[in-house]
Amino acid sequence: MRTVLISFLAAIAASMPAFADDAPEPAAERSALDAEVQSLRRDVVDLNRDLFMLEEDLLFPASTQIAVFVSMDIGTFFALDSVQVKVDDKEVANYLYTERELEALKRGGVHRIWLGNLKAGEHEVVAYFTGQGTHERDYKRGTTLTVEKGVGAKYLELKISDRVRKLQPEFVVRVWE
Amino acid sequence: MLRRILILAALTPCAFAAPVVEEAVPGLPAVKVQDLHYGDVLFYFYQHDHFDALVRLAAYRDQGRLAAHARDSELLRGGLYLSLGQHREAQEIFERILADASTPPEVRDRAWFYLGKVLYAAGVFEESERALRSSSGTLSPELDAERHLLLAQGLMYRQQYDRAIAELEGWQGPRLWLAYGQFNLGVALVRVGQRERGLALLDSVGQIVTEWPELAALRDKANLAIGYAHLQASEPAAARAALDRVRLSGPQASKALLGAGWADAAAKQYEAALLPWEELQGRNLLDSAVQESYLAVPYAYAELGAMAQAVNYYEKAIAAYDAERSRIGESIGAIRSGRLLDAALKAERDGREGWFGQLADVPDSPESRYLYHLLAGHEFQEGLKNYRALEAMSKNLSGWSDSLGAFTDMVETRQTAFEMRLPAADARLATVDVATINGRRDELHARLETAIAERDVEALATEEERGQLDMLAEVEAELALYPGDAAYDDAREKARLARGALLWKLDAAWKVRSWRANRALRDLNASVYDARTRETASSRAREGAPERNAALGARVTQVSPRVATLAVRVDSAKSAQGRHLADIAIEELEAQRQRLDEYSVQARYALATIYDRATANPAPATPQRTP
Repeated sequence: MRTVLISFLAAIAASMPAFADDAPEPAAERSALDAEVQSLRRDVVDLNRDLFMLEEDLLFPASTQIAVFVSMDIGTFFALDSVQVKVDDKEVANYLYTERELEALKRGGVHRIWLGNLKAGEHEVVAYFTGQGTHERDYKRGTTLTVEKGVGAKYLELKISDRVRKLQPEFVVRVWE
Repeated sequence: MLRRILILAALTPCAFAAPVVEEAVPGLPAVKVQDLHYGDVLFYFYQHDHFDALVRLAAYRDQGRLAAHARDSELLRGGLYLSLGQHREAQEIFERILADASTPPEVRDRAWFYLGKVLYAAGVFEESERALRSSSGTLSPELDAERHLLLAQGLMYRQQYDRAIAELEGWQGPRLWLAYGQFNLGVALVRVGQRERGLALLDSVGQIVTEWPELAALRDKANLAIGYAHLQASEPAAARAALDRVRLSGPQASKALLGAGWADAAAKQYEAALLPWEELQGRNLLDSAVQESYLAVPYAYAELGAMAQAVNYYEKAIAAYDAERSRIGESIGAIRSGRLLDAALKAERDGREGWFGQLADVPDSPESRYLYHLLAGHEFQEGLKNYRALEAMSKNLSGWSDSLGAFTDMVETRQTAFEMRLPAADARLATVDVATINGRRDELHARLETAIAERDVEALATEEERGQLDMLAEVEAELALYPGDAAYDDAREKARLARGALLWKLDAAWKVRSWRANRALRDLNASVYDARTRETASSRAREGAPERNAALGARVTQVSPRVATLAVRVDSAKSAQGRHLADIAIEELEAQRQRLDEYSVQARYALATIYDRATANPAPATPQRTP
């Protein structure tokens, strides 16, 4: 029995994290492999940054670039499902949001729903918001804006906010230069 | 001494649960987004997509699109590097923020906090403490709670329990953090000899009512620690009560079952002890508690005098140990062939509870059989995290490698299309003479100014009125040929009246016409400006297009070797990491095999002892018990 108890105690002691095991590893003891992974990760982040900018410069030059963003302020009176964007009567984006994405929007994240190119001049942008309004009723609302596209990049924000006095959602389009 | 080892092992200060640690920048203050692109970064950050968030943040920062959030975005960048385990980059960023004298106090506080966290993660506890203590006052309750716990844990790692107690005693924070604080305070109190106070605190954690998995795991850990402490003090009833509170499905379940059996055995309740121990026998034999139960069950039968069952169970233990040793051998073979990593990558690891739950369904194949056991090891987990990161990098680089081919084609196609369209565009541009239009506009402007200055009503006459004025002038010129001839007096009078009527009409319309003329000129100015702008833009585009295409082509050419070089490095590191993981796994499984060998020897020895006793003192009959 004594042997059993000894091995029991030793096994338990070995199976539970020892005090030092939970401590962060001192920097000097990190292996060369860890250091290489760290270095690679930094280089890959830098490379992705450069490629992200290159891709944008190549596909969406500033002279023709237009971006449409979706943001949400509180969202008590409207549970968003999807957003459709049409430019000059042509659908350019139709996005169905996941729970995780909606949570990110509610916390202040802004979703770039469309990045594209438009010629200089006047264009009509229409956005349709689909979801559920108060009392879980299906709700679809559209909002239209005529945009004058100049030579620089143009940014539009489709903002969903609460109109507290009317207990209704409000859909606002804001133009950023 | 052994009981001391047990209690020390059980009373390990509880590090923050994995999901909270991975959220490197919790409680980021609510931000009113003033740059849409900063909001775009937050959209990825809030979804825990830290890599994409960091890439976008770095790109937008270089593009100058985050001006309104310069400091917040730097803090976030440091936090993102921290969450990706890039401690050096994170530290550099926080130190830079702190070195800037214009950094506002609330940003400074957060930078100190994150710097403290980086240093803590690097194991530099004294410097970490200095940084954490420099940060106070303006932190959010969540960050301040984490700061307190980091301070206390750093002190406990340095075995400065009295200071850790001072840090945690009387401290109040959000519920989850408070529970961790109480657990660690309880551990620290036990470590300095204040057993009763420490156990009382652990007991309060052990009785938390919650459905939150993280808190439930902490509750299990507290109950296990209390159970072992009471076992050590020969208080089996109290030990049993605490161990009974541990969930049967959690990571601590088998240790709790084993302890519960020992508590019953200590109270001479061997039949009761059999219940938890036999429950353990259906579980994974790599678990040390399960291994132990194979020896504990026959021991209980022997204590009950049921020698036949004891013999049966010892034989069963020997067979189980041998079978498991053979299965370990198979698994080692599978691991050597590289199949372990594929199985491991399939297991999600969003925190201990996450993978623990999912691994219950892992198939019983040689490569995946011991995943749960291996993933419980810190070194293997960290190594697998690296391997997974390398796998993601490899896919990322492969994607870019494909895109770069398309980019090259795109630049070439664009240049070809430009060259094809150039003659037609040049011809069209040649037909537009904005300079002449500009000159004519200037002349018109001067004429209108003079007319307005001199109130020249005729200058704003319509075409019809202009015809009438010309006709009158001709009539008057004809009449002037006969100055003294009375026969034309009537005609002269009519011409005078007609001119007077026309001038009166022009004068009456002057105000409206001059306003309209000014407005028309303004519209003309705008149109001429547009034409000039477009001409300039067209010329610039025409002249700049080849240069821009060449620059884009050069960027694609420059970046391609970087992608290729990194891909080679990533593949090489991935292979090395894979080998490293296999080595850890094999080493661990070999140790297990050796331990099973030792248990097997113990079982054989116990069996031989029973046989020896039976031979030396043959008994007429051994009481049989139903297992």
